Amino acid sequence: MKRNIILILIGLCLAFWPMGGYQEGIVILMCINCIAAMGVSILTGFTGIFTLGHAAYMALGAYTTAILTVRYGVHWAPAIIAGGLMAVLIAWLIGVPTLKLTGDYYAIASIGLGEAIRLILENWQSFTRGARGFPGIDPYTTRTTAVVIFVFLMIITFNFLQSRLGRELKASRDDATAASLMGFNTPRTRMKALVISAFFCGIAGSLLGGYMSFIQPSMFDMMKSTELTAVVVFGGLGSMSGTILGSAAITLIMEYFRDISQYRMLIYGLLLVIIMVFRPEGLLGSNEVWDLWGFLKKWGKKKNA
Amino acid sequence: MKKVIFSLLCLFLLASCAFAAAPIKVGEIATVTGDFAAYGVAEVESIKIAVKEINEAGGVLGRPLEVIMYDCRTRQEDMVNAARRLVEQDKVVATIGPSGSGLCIAAAPIFNRGHVAHLGTLPTNPLVTVDDNGKVRPYNFRICFLDPYQGAIMAQFAFRDLGAKKAALLYDVSSDYSQGQREFFIKGFESAGGTIVADEGFRGEDVDFRSQLTNMKDSGADVFIFPFMGKSLPLAVKQARELGIELPIVGGDGYGDFMWEISGETLRNTYWVSHVDRYDPTLKTFFDKYLESAGTECQEFMNAVMAYDCVYWLKDAIERAGSDDPEKVRDALEATKDLKLMHCVLTMDEFHNPKDKDGVILKCDEAQKKALFFVKIRPE
Amino acid sequence: MAFTFSTFIQQVINGLSLGSVYALIAVGYSLVYSILLFSNFAHGGFLVVGGYACYYLLTQWGYSVAISMFGALIASGVAAVLTERLAYKPIRERTSMTLYLLIASMGVNIIIENLFVVTVGGRIRALPQNTFPTGIFNLWGGVTLSASDILSLVTAVIFLSLLQLFLNRTRWGLAIRAAACDIRTAGLMGVNVTFLISLVFFVAGVLAAVGGIFLSVRYSLYPQLGSITTKAFIAAVIGGLGSLPGAVVGSLILGLAEMLTAGFISSQMRDLVVYSLLVIMLLIRPAGFFGKEISEKI
Repeated sequence: MKRNIILILIGLCLAFWPMGGYQEGIVILMCINCIAAMGVSILTGFTGIFTLGHAAYMALGAYTTAILTVRYGVHWAPAIIAGGLMAVLIAWLIGVPTLKLTGDYYAIASIGLGEAIRLILENWQSFTRGARGFPGIDPYTTRTTAVVIFVFLMIITFNFLQSRLGRELKASRDDATAASLMGFNTPRTRMKALVISAFFCGIAGSLLGGYMSFIQPSMFDMMKSTELTAVVVFGGLGSMSGTILGSAAITLIMEYFRDISQYRMLIYGLLLVIIMVFRPEGLLGSNEVWDLWGFLKKWGKKKNA
Repeated sequence: MKKVIFSLLCLFLLASCAFAAAPIKVGEIATVTGDFAAYGVAEVESIKIAVKEINEAGGVLGRPLEVIMYDCRTRQEDMVNAARRLVEQDKVVATIGPSGSGLCIAAAPIFNRGHVAHLGTLPTNPLVTVDDNGKVRPYNFRICFLDPYQGAIMAQFAFRDLGAKKAALLYDVSSDYSQGQREFFIKGFESAGGTIVADEGFRGEDVDFRSQLTNMKDSGADVFIFPFMGKSLPLAVKQARELGIELPIVGGDGYGDFMWEISGETLRNTYWVSHVDRYDPTLKTFFDKYLESAGTECQEFMNAVMAYDCVYWLKDAIERAGSDDPEKVRDALEATKDLKLMHCVLTMDEFHNPKDKDGVILKCDEAQKKALFFVKIRPE
Repeated sequence: MAFTFSTFIQQVINGLSLGSVYALIAVGYSLVYSILLFSNFAHGGFLVVGGYACYYLLTQWGYSVAISMFGALIASGVAAVLTERLAYKPIRERTSMTLYLLIASMGVNIIIENLFVVTVGGRIRALPQNTFPTGIFNLWGGVTLSASDILSLVTAVIFLSLLQLFLNRTRWGLAIRAAACDIRTAGLMGVNVTFLISLVFFVAGVLAAVGGIFLSVRYSLYPQLGSITTKAFIAAVIGGLGSLPGAVVGSLILGLAEMLTAGFISSQMRDLVVYSLLVIMLLIRPAGFFGKEISEKI
């Protein structure tokens, strides 16, 4: 409970702290990236399924929302939810045959599936305007909208990770065989994780469309998918707060280097390698921020005693 | 103590100097990396030359110009980000470039929302200055002619001058530029009485076009039409010749001298629509300056000339507006009339496009490795 | 779109020629995978290093074609070994999870690509026209075969045979094959595993350079050239990751599939067919045509 209040307070700060248009943009981008990273973290960090194709679910969300609002005049709020649900639907269809693949093979298959979804969006010119992109989306993603959705999803995620379902996910990650022996339906658990993560990415994509007012299939390519998984690894596999901190940090770093745009990608690449080399377990390992807090408290007591 | 006071005084003087001549900030977005890198580099160089000339001659309204340049990696996404940054953070008076139509269309809403004028160097698609409903985008301008015009020139040239009756097209599905030209070429060519016998597409990042070219070859066409730009252009020409296709090839304004390095003498018998003639004597001083400043010959001359003239166009508008207020500059841009620029006399029409510009057809000369003036065309 | 026999033959030639370029790259992928069981996405970077090395040796420093090519092979090989020593080795020593290697390799790819963007610029370059023989041979019925088609096929065959000889006839080749079966046991049997892995990377780098030189002759040279390796990677998966004959067969299948799709169905469907092939293959037979069937591999 205390944690939820703190999160809401942080959210209020982010939403109402006075700042310029440019800083607002960064906050919005940060919220969007964090939502997508949370989604991937549920699948990769907590269920142990590595994906390199989740940008496709962002694309599905973005296009669904964009087409609904621009062509059919739907209000943006239901359209965003529709974007998330579209991602869920496709994820479920894809998950049925592919989730039985394990290890590297799922990761490779997810590359193929992600790219295939992107290519379909690109080739379906009459509906999506194809590779030329979809312009003229209403800028519905304001700072308040983005922060509210982000905080709301964050609170839900933290609470659900401690629920029975959350433990189910971790059990099937740590030892699938043991988990199924204990009566968990592992394939179903994996599917649940995939569907939830697709929903998060779909929402993130919808928000991104509203922020950029322009979307294009190439925004959701393999690079973007890799970035999502890399951020989760950077934050710590199995640590949701680590994922969020990592994602926020990377967004800020990349924005900071926009001035020297030629060097930006170079720095990004270096960052990826350095993290993998020096701290493969990520920022927080599999701990959450408050675990650290508890640890510090205990450590302080011991020292005093 | 004295020293401190002295240095403080100096600082103050310096600061006040700087304040008196606060530069006018001009935004520039260029495709320095990515598929259109060659074009973007040329624009950056020539804008540098123009700004240096203006500043050495005393600046605009007594203030120097300062260019803030961002690269957009030839990607719409980065284009939108760069435009946002120029409008919201840097508060520029107006923005110049880049040349790609798709890029300009993607960023158009940002400029219009932020009330900052945008001057396109070579975006030829109609939708750059008008929206989907045919309404003018108040803050978007361009200095070049349009795809309908260009498509008509290509159709007229292919049908009349080359005597072609059957055309085979290859176009880039991922580009507004290419799709627009294709559409208007087909319209013009068919209404002149020709037929389109093959219409093949490829995606921007593709490098191998041989299967499309094979189909085009078997279609019995007597001319190939290549309405696209970037590295695909020289590659497609080269691969066509490798497949034994010796037909004339007609393309849009994507031509640049950089193509010789990749295609070499396979560029024989190719014709390109252009905005300017590279070897026009009136442009010689500019190209000499370019060689001196950049250290290489100007290869993407259309972009260079257009970008250079955009700076002078903007200078003229700021002077007529009498201030660097973006709104007033926009109004002045809209009212541009009979402005003498290096490559043309510029008058804006009601859709923010230049009035009455001639198209030039260049023919590649494989012996000299140059594209030489062939014919001047104004479509009917 | 008339379906004539000569068109079909022409598309098959186009496909085989594209496939042979893929094969050179895919074999490098598979070689690394067979030892370390991870997909080395930095391979595209090695290829770009080779291309640029050859370009600069040839045009800026004026060396002969043979020396430039040799220099490019060495440059790529060294780049590959450096990558393995600086990035992969520390990760391998810390963890057994191949995902970390995979992400690091993507990072290396981004680094190499952007190093070239920053230093030499994004401009498109090409090796001089007269570097390699050009010419067109007219076969029957309007079907043509260009000198570069033949050259890429011949080079692919030469280098792949050399690789086969190296693997089958030399002591280190034997060690590599042993390590591909079981790297730990090979280590226990007295093989210097660190050196062996470096050697594998060197060979993979050399093959990548050959691919890079080819691509820059055939197409052109630019920092993002390495992205073509995604296709070669897919070819390696279809053929069976870790299997060298598999990589070759997969590449030829992929080249043909691409060209025939573009020629007879629609050029826009080309990549969609490639990715569908990948997914279908993984669903039916995850280990590819020639791969070892392994149930769990994390």
